Amino acid sequence: MIAKARRDRRAGADAVGTDAKATVSRRGFLGALAAIAALAGTAGGFVGRTASAAIKPVARPSAAQMKRLLAYYRTRPRWASWLVPELNVDDGWQRWMRTILNSKNLPITHDDFSRLGTTITQTHHWSMVIDERRCIGCQACVVACKDENNVPVGVYRTWVDVVETGTMVPDPSGPIVTDVGNYRSEVKRSSMPLICNHCDHPPCVDVCPVKATFKRADGIVMIDYDLCIGCGYCVQACPYNARFFNPVQQTADKCTFCAHRLDRGLLPACVTSCPTHARVFGDKNDPTSEVSVLLATQATTVLKEDLGTDPQVFYINREQEVYDENSTVNTVYPYTANLNSTDYATLSGDAPLPGATGGQG
Amino acid sequence: MPLSPTNYYGSGLEQGYWGLMIVTYPFISGLVAGSFVVATLSQLFGRKRLAPLAPIAAILSFALLLSAPLTIWGDARQPSRVYELITRMHVPWSPMALFLLIWISYVVLMLVELYAVFRAGNSARTEWAGRPLRAKIAGLLTLGVKGRDAGSLRRDERIVRWTAGIGILIAFLFHGYIGFIFGSMKSRALWSSPLIPVLFIVSAIVSGIALVEIAYFAIAKWNGWKIDRAIVSELNLWLIGALLLDFYLDMVELLMSGVRAYAPEETYEWFSRLYFHGPLFWTYFLFQLGLGVIVPLVALATRRWRASIVNSGVMALLVLMGVYMMRWNVVAGGQMASKVTNDIVSFPLVWTGYDSVQTVLGVFGVAFLLFLLFAWLLPWKTGFDAAGGIPLLPEPVTPASTASSTAPMTSRGA
Repeated sequence: MIAKARRDRRAGADAVGTDAKATVSRRGFLGALAAIAALAGTAGGFVGRTASAAIKPVARPSAAQMKRLLAYYRTRPRWASWLVPELNVDDGWQRWMRTILNSKNLPITHDDFSRLGTTITQTHHWSMVIDERRCIGCQACVVACKDENNVPVGVYRTWVDVVETGTMVPDPSGPIVTDVGNYRSEVKRSSMPLICNHCDHPPCVDVCPVKATFKRADGIVMIDYDLCIGCGYCVQACPYNARFFNPVQQTADKCTFCAHRLDRGLLPACVTSCPTHARVFGDKNDPTSEVSVLLATQATTVLKEDLGTDPQVFYINREQEVYDENSTVNTVYPYTANLNSTDYATLSGDAPLPGATGGQG
Repeated sequence: MPLSPTNYYGSGLEQGYWGLMIVTYPFISGLVAGSFVVATLSQLFGRKRLAPLAPIAAILSFALLLSAPLTIWGDARQPSRVYELITRMHVPWSPMALFLLIWISYVVLMLVELYAVFRAGNSARTEWAGRPLRAKIAGLLTLGVKGRDAGSLRRDERIVRWTAGIGILIAFLFHGYIGFIFGSMKSRALWSSPLIPVLFIVSAIVSGIALVEIAYFAIAKWNGWKIDRAIVSELNLWLIGALLLDFYLDMVELLMSGVRAYAPEETYEWFSRLYFHGPLFWTYFLFQLGLGVIVPLVALATRRWRASIVNSGVMALLVLMGVYMMRWNVVAGGQMASKVTNDIVSFPLVWTGYDSVQTVLGVFGVAFLLFLLFAWLLPWKTGFDAAGGIPLLPEPVTPASTASSTAPMTSRGA
């Protein structure tokens, strides 16, 4: 069989050899092939080395380590973080400021935010526009955020509540039949994506006693988890309840606008995952960005404007101030209600039926 | 009933982040400021009848001052990083960052004041026969200044007057800043009020007077002394005054938050939902206002009732309970008012573990142990004679009087 192959090759060579040009071409082809192979090999070697240097494989745990790891997962939430000693901390998990929070080393402020954009240059001014008309309440952003940022069970960096406006209206020909008469529904439900507003004047940053939380020059409000003492002042001071205590790392925690992705030219995870493009993210300093265009052309509102926090998350089609206690807008069921409590059942039962038994006008 | 977690309902997202330790923190620091005020009544404002109580009030104040940070330290999720309050102090932007400045200056001032208050007594103790160790400790506490002549005593008195004058400002600052931590928070409708720091300071004075009164009763019972009704009447008179001010501020708060026509909408909404119809009805109207303010005001109204020891003791306990309930209503009420949904946030009472009744009792235990330690260490009985009366102190201090005041000590062992 080998002999046959050799014969064939020789025959082919003879056939090609009849053309002088073709012979040169073959030699060139082989040379090019060798060069490419050599280049590819070298490059591959480099890439391999670089990759292996960048991503150190986690050493296979020893039997004793494995035992500890299993014990850890049996007793703690199944959430891997840099606190887990078996993760390789040399991969950058401990150098938050350099690798994750502020890799571009932008200037940061802890107070006096009027300096941003005046004495401190703002190359970008990140903000988000949430188009409520497009939100279908699929919670993909919530899941994507949890996945991207390793957010533990029970707490959320972004969440989507379901809110309700309007009431049941008494109507003799209405389709809803109760003991006290018929009703027609004039209730509208809508989904309401919520996230840290990355305010331009964030009260949460001012009140931190140890300057653990800060505002980056591009507008992102973040927490240095290595500095946070966990006093809870910022959690209390946030008017939007966007901050929480991370039950695993035992510090305050919040949305970072996926700063680690932004610094590498990617969009936040919740924006990327939104199937209906309800979340639009961009640079307010760039007049051609989609965010700037939307802000210029659409009527937008922000949450709790009267508090003067100057939020950087804008809403399109926010009919009423949802936080207003006295308005007809009700939070009916936050998906983020913890299912292991009784809260969920209580909240979901809030159907406004005026006059009917059990209803709340 | 109002303290049961099962009665509350709320969103799963929000929760009470500050629990019982933060309820206790303003309570203890209020006792610090209040008992300090009682001490200054005689030291600075010339109420000489209360002079025997000044040392014990100062000791109480110092013991509580040292244990007050345990509450916030125990409440912090990362207590090992507490040194950052010095290395990364965010002043003047963060009200909480002021804590260490105020607290340290208060501790230093209290040390100076305690030194001056007890120097003469310690100096007398150095000659304590039969107790060489305690005589040596007393000698150390005088820092070598052992003179008991009229000049040294006058100098002591001058130091005490100065420290009391500065100290009352720092005491108000210490407690006022805690009120400001709550009052400065515009995110919470029920906290964001300029009234809160003032309310805190006044209720602090109320609780401090009540605490000193109870301490006096306990000490007298322990030593088998006859309780001096003149002291009790005078203390109760001050208590009535502070209670009236407290009641006035409570009423202002009630009117400014609980009447729809006067209050901002969000404030009224939450105030009425929590205090009028909600889970805090009993703690607010019955415990804080009724039993904590109105009943003591009535029960201490006449001179005879004010001189009654049982009545005063019960009323002082009620006042302390009422002030604790006031802290509870502020801290819990502010957090029960949800920031983002329209439900009441659950605020369960935790019995054991982190931020619980257990840890609060621990902090009070530490304060009590510190009190016992200082009471053992310092000659606070110099104001009383062997029977618990006050023989000497209303008169100007003379060398002869100090000599006689040390007499019961050498015989009875202070």
